Amino acid sequence: MNFWLVRILSIGAAVGFAWFLSVATVDAPTLLGPRLVALAGMYVTLAVSLNLINGITGQFSIGHAGFFQVGAYTAGILSGLYFKEGMNPMMWVGLMSIAGAITAGIAGLLVGVPSLRLRGDYLAIVTLGFGEIIRIFVTTQQDPLINGATGINVKPQHNAVFLSILLAIACIAVCRNLLQNAHGLPFLAIREDEVASNAMGVNTTKYKVIAFVIGSAFAGAAGALFAHTESFILPDLFKMELSFLILTMVVLGGNGSITGSVVAALVLFYLPEVLRGGEGQATMAFSGPMIVGFFVGLIALVAGIRHSQQRHMSSQAAKFGFLAFTMGAAVLVGVVVSLLAKASPNLSAAKYDVNQLRMVIFSITLVVVMLVRPQGLLGHREFGWGLFTRKSATSEVQA
Amino acid sequence: MTWLAALDVNGLPQQLTNGIVVGAIYALIALGYTMVYGVLKLINFAHGEVFMIGCFISLFVSWSLGYTSSSIPTATNPSALMWMILASMLVCGLVGVFLERFAYRPMRGQPRINSLITAIGISLFLQYGLSLVFPISPPRTITEQVNPYWQNSVSVTLRAAPQELVNDRAKVVAELKTAVDAQNARMKELGIDSTFRLPEEDKYLVTTVRNLEAKERELGADVNKSETRITVPTGKMIMLVATLALMLLLRWVVMGTAVGRQMRAVSHDFDSASLMGIDVNFVVSMTFFIGSALAGAGGMMAATFQGVALTAFVGLEYGVKAFVAAVLGGIGNIPGAVLGGLLIGMLESIATAFGQSAYQNIVTFFILILVLIVKPAGLLGSAKAEKV
Repeated sequence: MNFWLVRILSIGAAVGFAWFLSVATVDAPTLLGPRLVALAGMYVTLAVSLNLINGITGQFSIGHAGFFQVGAYTAGILSGLYFKEGMNPMMWVGLMSIAGAITAGIAGLLVGVPSLRLRGDYLAIVTLGFGEIIRIFVTTQQDPLINGATGINVKPQHNAVFLSILLAIACIAVCRNLLQNAHGLPFLAIREDEVASNAMGVNTTKYKVIAFVIGSAFAGAAGALFAHTESFILPDLFKMELSFLILTMVVLGGNGSITGSVVAALVLFYLPEVLRGGEGQATMAFSGPMIVGFFVGLIALVAGIRHSQQRHMSSQAAKFGFLAFTMGAAVLVGVVVSLLAKASPNLSAAKYDVNQLRMVIFSITLVVVMLVRPQGLLGHREFGWGLFTRKSATSEVQA
Repeated sequence: MTWLAALDVNGLPQQLTNGIVVGAIYALIALGYTMVYGVLKLINFAHGEVFMIGCFISLFVSWSLGYTSSSIPTATNPSALMWMILASMLVCGLVGVFLERFAYRPMRGQPRINSLITAIGISLFLQYGLSLVFPISPPRTITEQVNPYWQNSVSVTLRAAPQELVNDRAKVVAELKTAVDAQNARMKELGIDSTFRLPEEDKYLVTTVRNLEAKERELGADVNKSETRITVPTGKMIMLVATLALMLLLRWVVMGTAVGRQMRAVSHDFDSASLMGIDVNFVVSMTFFIGSALAGAGGMMAATFQGVALTAFVGLEYGVKAFVAAVLGGIGNIPGAVLGGLLIGMLESIATAFGQSAYQNIVTFFILILVLIVKPAGLLGSAKAEKV
């Protein structure tokens, strides 16, 4: 009885939370507005579903944008064919996300069955190639329903906050439950050691394909919501960079940690938006001292954190020398960059496109986090209620 | 079977040659991927950006030699090409060493996916950082006049046109010449400068010239259609020869020098090599230097002889294709990278010969996936048994 009570209460809480967000975001400022919140939900779904493949099952897939695109175009094409004015947009979008999940799941099956025999880097290459094939194939189609590189308008436009948050919660719930009961053990076993788990009687191909199909299906559902939220899709939205971005979310959060994926997805999604100020296209002027300051701060940060991790520097003089060296190097880099900036007429007075600037800051963040904390923000740790009662809560299977 | 009908058989040898020329560049870049993978088992995703830096360095050198868009030196100078390629190779090599020292070496010993993420981060940083300084539009190009032989080309006729067709054409050309001469003589006689002013009784001269011109054009098209010839601009010939020379140089370095032997040892077994007294860090740095220098040479050649439009994102397309080439040939295998590069170049041009140039990337990736599924180690790679 208790079991069902908890289940029903959790589902109720999830629906309530999604409904609350969909109501609360209506009049909120752009940064917390319905579009960005819905998109944040989709990115969380994408990151967590890729985490199921990459982090939990240990298969290296970098073509997630491909499945996202399959879902988006399924919704776009079906809406173009069958949507009539007067239908309830939310019901229709929900239906479309199920359709997107099914087609993307089938695509995942088609890609997964032959290619999951491969390991490591090779699997990565095949998934990358698959993502590119889908994108280029769509680009070459001149049919008015697909409309090649020009893209299609998707009707109805619907800020799918409710559905997107619900999907994200469902995705998190599936992965969390998988980690917490016996059904998830084969996945974890494959991650820890594929050969050994095969020897112990785990049907590795079967579980890898299952993880792949579930992950792709969630990505496809998110894609359908994406198509309706943006109401305009074109193949260039689903480039390799998107796959890399999702992969980055997974690794940054800690490969295998669901909480980490969620946090990293939110941070990486909102970081550029905050830098943009939520105002769309904007420009920003940079001066020499700002550039110097930026580099000095950055390098000092990296040096400081790495310094704190290095135990072998025993003598006080060595520590001081190290610090002086890094600070000197940082100042030198900053001065050289700002001199270059002064010398080039392009740089000194230019106003920068924030869209590109945010990618620069984003990439620097990525490299710095990887250098400083390679296991990701959370490692294998999870957030849980145990965090408050016990000293440490961890779902990590000790290798 | 419409796609089969679209195949231009006489154009095929020309397309294949184009494919080899483009493929040579892919091969040059693929060598860097494959060498780094062979030594470190790392996919260096920033390699395409090293290529991009090579393009830009040769652009800067060509500017500093005076070949800007507004002014071009009157005296052409073949040594400009030499300076451009040397500067590109040197700078790219140093960039490669720098990347390895500060981005990849700290990640050694971490899971491989982390190095991959770092590589992706660096690649994004270089792309967007440079596009801040050089906005995407208008894209820069290196002026063709840098290459002193830019107007010449080498041409080989594989199958000549039928002799009577050539004779017909020569006859028509001769007739056309006499007709034009007659027309000009008449115009001079009347002291006018335009055919429009010719009196009515002399209009037949103009009509004759027009008719002969049309006939000449028709016959010319027939001749072109019935003969098979390969034309390669001299610049691309230089490119092909330089690429081959660099590959032979690489072969000598890898097979014939002490550093090369150390590289092969490290590639064979990283840990054992370091136990045998090989300075692994030095070898890895050298590998990055050589691989990146080759990418820089590729960048210089693509930018100079192919006239690629230079944006900060130029490395993406070449990088991906070269990567596919490396995997196709068997990543970690040096002859495989060359084979893969040439194959990818030819596949693309065959797709173009079928009139399906939009599908060339799909064909590339499809073949790649097919090869990986049938023979996962690539064409020339050898599968390694996994030991527990």
